Amino acid sequence: MPTRHLPHYLMVLPFMLLFAVFFLYPIASGFFYSFHDWNAASDPRFVGLANYTRILGSRDFERAMWNLATYIVITVPLGILTALGLALLVDSFTGFWSNVFRSVFFLPVVLPAFLAATIWRWMYAPSFGLINMVLGWFGIPSVNFLNDTGTMLYALIAVDIWVSAGFNMVILLAGLKNIPTDLYEAARLDGASRFQQIRYVTIPMLAPVLFFVTTYGFISALQVFDVPWLLTGSSFTQYGGRQNALLFPVMDMMGRAFGAVRFGQAAAYGFILTAIIVAFTAVMFALRGKEAQR
Amino acid sequence: MTLALDAATPRRRRMASVTYWDVLKWVIALSVTVVILFPIWWMINVVFAEPGTPVSINPRLLPTSLEAGWSKILMILRETEYLRAYYISVAYALLTIIGVLAVGSMAAFEFALFDFPGKRPLFGLVMLSLMVPTAVTIVPTYLLVADMGWLNTMQGLVVPGMASAFGLFLLVQFMKGIPHEMIEAARLDGAGHFQIYWHVVMPLAKNALVTLAILTFMRTWGNFMWPLIVAPNAQMYTVGQVVGLFNAPYSHHTVDVVMTANLLAAVPPLIFFLIFQRKIVEGIAMSGTKG
Repeated sequence: MPTRHLPHYLMVLPFMLLFAVFFLYPIASGFFYSFHDWNAASDPRFVGLANYTRILGSRDFERAMWNLATYIVITVPLGILTALGLALLVDSFTGFWSNVFRSVFFLPVVLPAFLAATIWRWMYAPSFGLINMVLGWFGIPSVNFLNDTGTMLYALIAVDIWVSAGFNMVILLAGLKNIPTDLYEAARLDGASRFQQIRYVTIPMLAPVLFFVTTYGFISALQVFDVPWLLTGSSFTQYGGRQNALLFPVMDMMGRAFGAVRFGQAAAYGFILTAIIVAFTAVMFALRGKEAQR
Repeated sequence: MTLALDAATPRRRRMASVTYWDVLKWVIALSVTVVILFPIWWMINVVFAEPGTPVSINPRLLPTSLEAGWSKILMILRETEYLRAYYISVAYALLTIIGVLAVGSMAAFEFALFDFPGKRPLFGLVMLSLMVPTAVTIVPTYLLVADMGWLNTMQGLVVPGMASAFGLFLLVQFMKGIPHEMIEAARLDGAGHFQIYWHVVMPLAKNALVTLAILTFMRTWGNFMWPLIVAPNAQMYTVGQVVGLFNAPYSHHTVDVVMTANLLAAVPPLIFFLIFQRKIVEGIAMSGTKG
């Protein structure tokens, strides 16, 4: 190694060292553990693919995946549509009011997710919670949103959209600002209505940003943890809420690691989730490539 | 500022008369504002209300008793472990910010401005890690930290989060824009490699560093999962964990006390938001549109 490069390596060394120890090594060791039965007390015992097959065959996994699928199918499109609506709304105001509404809509994003969950937990509370109080004014009997398997998932989705809409809105707004004004001029000269302008100018021009927001939204939805964990008042020994209606994969993984103390299974769980994310991202990029070719 | 923005967007000023759409968008915008702000407003009202009054008499739509709110806040700070959790969370956030900025800026300086063998694969590897979900690393990282004897320690909380791939990405994006002539000029003046980093590039990157510091604060203050597993000892509880305990199903606290705990946890991010709103929004928009 020529010495003239040495200063460069010295400067990147702290970062790369930390990266190797706290990112690369855990991936490698996790891969090792995923083929072993291990509870931290005794030596790891090689079990082949047993951890993987046990997870894939377990009822909790099935339940968590089913919940996740339902959750994602609703929350990702609904969240992005809401964010897009908010972005268009903010963009339709000018100057002062545009800034005010942008700030307000963004506010929940700066609150920690754990806080959003705990505030909403009480909003949903039976009898004295704000939502049931308002329902009461209309003579609707109190609903136990977080303990009724018919409403739990939707209660989570509402919180989720409240938290994340502002985040996606800000990214979409930046995308909107990058659309050249003359495209709208041209569309208007051709007699396009406001709705047609959105359909034929805004949406196609926003496609790359929408792609990013969708992919990112999916990846974070797949790892949902804080909000359902706190909405259900979970702990490592009891989690997922009534009838596991709010059991999600990362919760299941954490329970296996820190409740059941099966670190091998938890490690395998992480790789199963990664495989799903990689597969999805690949599909998204493939679709995007096809779209670009047309 | 208002005038300048108005002038820059003539396309929306074509009609002088108030249209159907103008009314509609105000109605929608104000309704959304209510939906977004109400949970936060309600939290404040529950805190600043006489405890025990039934909702039929006081629906908590407005703050009604400043005194009651203060006494709850003082009670929580004096009689629970909240203050220590505050101290831990602040230390956790500050140390993480310092660590992320220090190692991130040094690496970004090299990746953005110089060429050396192995640069591309190294940087590519770090960027690839942005695609790897936390789910896959969290349990093995916990096991490693436990192995090192770092459970329930500040270093256990902070050090594993210091090599932030996102932070590196943000800083590299920014530092790429620094003209090479400035570095050459400093070199001709006899500045060493580290001096160029510290005296030339760091001041120029101030904006990006501030943005990254704020985003790191938000992330750390809001991090619930990592402290939950790596610092399970009551002595090391962060604000997030304490808030979680106040809200636990068998917590013996009443709603208004729980809400006070929630409110106290919300204060630092809300203050940050009021001061740095523009920087936060820019940082997030940048990570989304250039990614």
